[in-house]
Amino acid sequence: MRPSSALSRRLAVAATGLVLTTGVAACAGPQGAGDEAGSGTGADAAPRKGGTLTVLNSEAQSDFDPARLYTSGGGNVPSLVFRTLTTRNREAGAAGTEVVPDLATDTGRPNKDATEWTYTLKDGLKFEDGTPITSADVKYGIERSFAAELSGGAPYLRDWLIGGDTYQGPYKDPKGLASIVTPDPKTIVFKLRKPEGEFPFVATQTQFAPVPKAKDAGAAYEEHPVSSGPYKVVENENDGERLVLERNEHWDPKTDDERKAYPDRIDVRSGLDEAVVNQRLATSAGADSAAVTTDTNLGPAELAQIGSDKELAARVGTGRFGFTNYIAFNPKVKPFDNPKVRQAISHAVNRTSVVNAAGGSALAEAATTFLPEKEAFGHQPYDHFPAGKTGDPEKAKQLLKEAGFPDGLKVTLLHSTAQNRATSPEIATAVQEALAKAGITVELDGQEPNSFNEKRWSVKDAPGFFLSRWGADWPAGSAFLAPIFDGRQIVANGSNYNHAQLDDPAVNREIDEINKLTDLKAAAPRWGALDRKIGEQALDVPLFHPVYKRLVGKDVKNVVISDWTGVLDISQVAVR
Amino acid sequence: MTAVTDAPAPVAGTPATGAARQVWRRLRTRPAALVSAAVLLLLIVLAAAAPLLAALTGQDPYAYHDELVDSARGGVPHGAFGGASADHWLGVEPGTGRDLFVRLLYGARISLLVAVGATALQILIGLVVGLAAGLGNRWVDGLLGRVTDVLVALPMLVLAVALTAVVPRDFPRPLLLILVIGLLGWAGTSRIVRAQTLVLKNLDHVSAARLAGSGRRRTARRELLPALAAPVLTYAAILVPTNIVVEASLSFLGVGVTPPTPSWGQMLSTAQTWFRADPAYVLLPAGSLFVTVLASTVLGDAVRTALDPREASRLRVGTAKETAR
Repeated sequence: MRPSSALSRRLAVAATGLVLTTGVAACAGPQGAGDEAGSGTGADAAPRKGGTLTVLNSEAQSDFDPARLYTSGGGNVPSLVFRTLTTRNREAGAAGTEVVPDLATDTGRPNKDATEWTYTLKDGLKFEDGTPITSADVKYGIERSFAAELSGGAPYLRDWLIGGDTYQGPYKDPKGLASIVTPDPKTIVFKLRKPEGEFPFVATQTQFAPVPKAKDAGAAYEEHPVSSGPYKVVENENDGERLVLERNEHWDPKTDDERKAYPDRIDVRSGLDEAVVNQRLATSAGADSAAVTTDTNLGPAELAQIGSDKELAARVGTGRFGFTNYIAFNPKVKPFDNPKVRQAISHAVNRTSVVNAAGGSALAEAATTFLPEKEAFGHQPYDHFPAGKTGDPEKAKQLLKEAGFPDGLKVTLLHSTAQNRATSPEIATAVQEALAKAGITVELDGQEPNSFNEKRWSVKDAPGFFLSRWGADWPAGSAFLAPIFDGRQIVANGSNYNHAQLDDPAVNREIDEINKLTDLKAAAPRWGALDRKIGEQALDVPLFHPVYKRLVGKDVKNVVISDWTGVLDISQVAVR
Repeated sequence: MTAVTDAPAPVAGTPATGAARQVWRRLRTRPAALVSAAVLLLLIVLAAAAPLLAALTGQDPYAYHDELVDSARGGVPHGAFGGASADHWLGVEPGTGRDLFVRLLYGARISLLVAVGATALQILIGLVVGLAAGLGNRWVDGLLGRVTDVLVALPMLVLAVALTAVVPRDFPRPLLLILVIGLLGWAGTSRIVRAQTLVLKNLDHVSAARLAGSGRRRTARRELLPALAAPVLTYAAILVPTNIVVEASLSFLGVGVTPPTPSWGQMLSTAQTWFRADPAYVLLPAGSLFVTVLASTVLGDAVRTALDPREASRLRVGTAKETAR
């Protein structure tokens, strides 16, 4: 079974551009892992309740419906309104990669082979109108996300739940989905068609937020979704361009260990130019002094400018989201069918130039592994085809000779023309320049983003050599390795992310074996080992992992940046 | 460029041969024109000699210098004035460390080549269409007039972006830019030529030629073209800077020359975010563009006034009159 093409496409959009498309992202704070001290004027004072937090964004919070949002861990602004069965641990650094209970009393009780997951709801949970939240509301919320008019969420449930591939949603099929069972108002059971040890991570996504059937208005529900979290929507203009949230009096903090909810009011203003967002945060005038952003990173030029300003530098928060930018090979295309050619290119790459093109060492870290360098992913260091800091053209030339190209090679590299410093011309020219030293002439094929994506996601038309990137839907190995290297996830007539079109029975079997593990701590090292093993085939050249840097206003306190999202968690922010 | 469609050309009629000496005599008395001409000449020489100068400085426009940029600070060049040094006369590019002096020179080649090539194409098409409309019958004139109107009304930049985006990648980019700008920007020239032709064809020497039995083509070639040379040359002088800006805009929008080939527009496009952190990086292409456009505008205007003594006394500076209309 495969995700439909539209959904898979969404997956890649969200996975690759997660921070922009989903509103997962947030902001910044004083630098350093684990450091969550406030900054600015009242740095020492403990965070207090009250005040208005302004959010300055470039992208609107459009489709503010739990069925339609594609989030990692429930999103940032969305998670203020929608509680889910589980959620991400709202702590800084590595502790933030853990999944913790939210509406449920635990992160889920699996059966022996992880094909059945049972959750029990906490006591005292209420919607914003005071009616109690039941397991039927959670079931209904999930079923809605199968309706065609409410598409947009992650494809996993459609793939995993028994009958999920054919279910049309509650409007067309009011009987509901039989694989979600609610034996009583507190209990909900999910029946999966295959073992999925990482199910608790998926239960953090907004599709797992309760929706009261009586209040469901279909596609219009997004204008006033019924809140289960600490804030409710009081204003939504221009499809999420301006969003005003105020306290939900029926949210009981005793049932919620994760959200701090310090401000009384959240005012989200989007549609701003990215430079304007950063400029306003830097200036911190008026209401902007209590402002953050959930989607705008600092660029290299802005970073260069902040450099000497201590006050500004103290207001920059740094985070790492699980993300890898890499060169993809399609071994179906000559000469990339020859492992020696792929190895030669791996040796020739100059990661110092590439990192500089990506914004310098403050915004990108050179990568030799496909998995991001975090324990949660089970990262194991390896560098099978060492290129040193600036490339090894001699070794590359020697390999090319062995491959039968003693006079060098001429290849074409597909990249996008988007100014994203990830798949953009800057990165492509840095690769081009390094490969030239090894006698490989690279012609650049820059395409506008839509046709670039169409090409690289197509099994039929994908070129042999192109820039690509992958972001994790949750911080664990399967979200990173399965879509890229599982042979059964090659999508022939849709969006394919297995660029190498690898269909190796041994790899497929190991992916299945690890997915059966419900002990994530035991699963992680095996993902790392699998990554290391696949890396020997030189099916891609990992280039760098991006680093996120964001500004906050000068009165913003309690900035928490987890390794799950890599950005400030808006539920922890205080402005007093 | 469509803003200057209705430029009133100076009254023609001066025989082209005599005009050259007359123009030179008038230009000699205008220092601004002389300086502009010198600047343009210098620029053309520098652009033509780019490989020589690159060899002289020992720099390659494509070579990366990772050690010259501060990776921890977003890749801003080490040192003052964008990293200017004895090796890198105008500093280096942030992020890559590529030498800006040679990139600017190589960029000038593309910018000037595209601008001049596109202008030549615009003038050629404009002459043919304008003459055909002026000399043809009511139907021909009407049809060509409407085509010209449509072209004037089309947002040229949008159309150019669309066209350059669909053309195959291996088509030479500079030629493509020349074709796109040339084929979309001839409307102004054709209008001027048509208007002049309508005036000229009723003049005595043209009527005499027609009465003596010369056909339309011969009349156009022998009697009209020499008289049209002055206004058309003048207009071309205004078109060149406009086309430089159009090329810069297209490259700025990412549909111009492909990287790593430099052009001024492409340099401006990557430099735009750096205007505060590394002002030198922005000022170089922007300054070059400014100087070139100013010089050719001043020169073009001087040529125009030199060709038309009556106008010369009334209008001394700039193209304000054209744009105001």
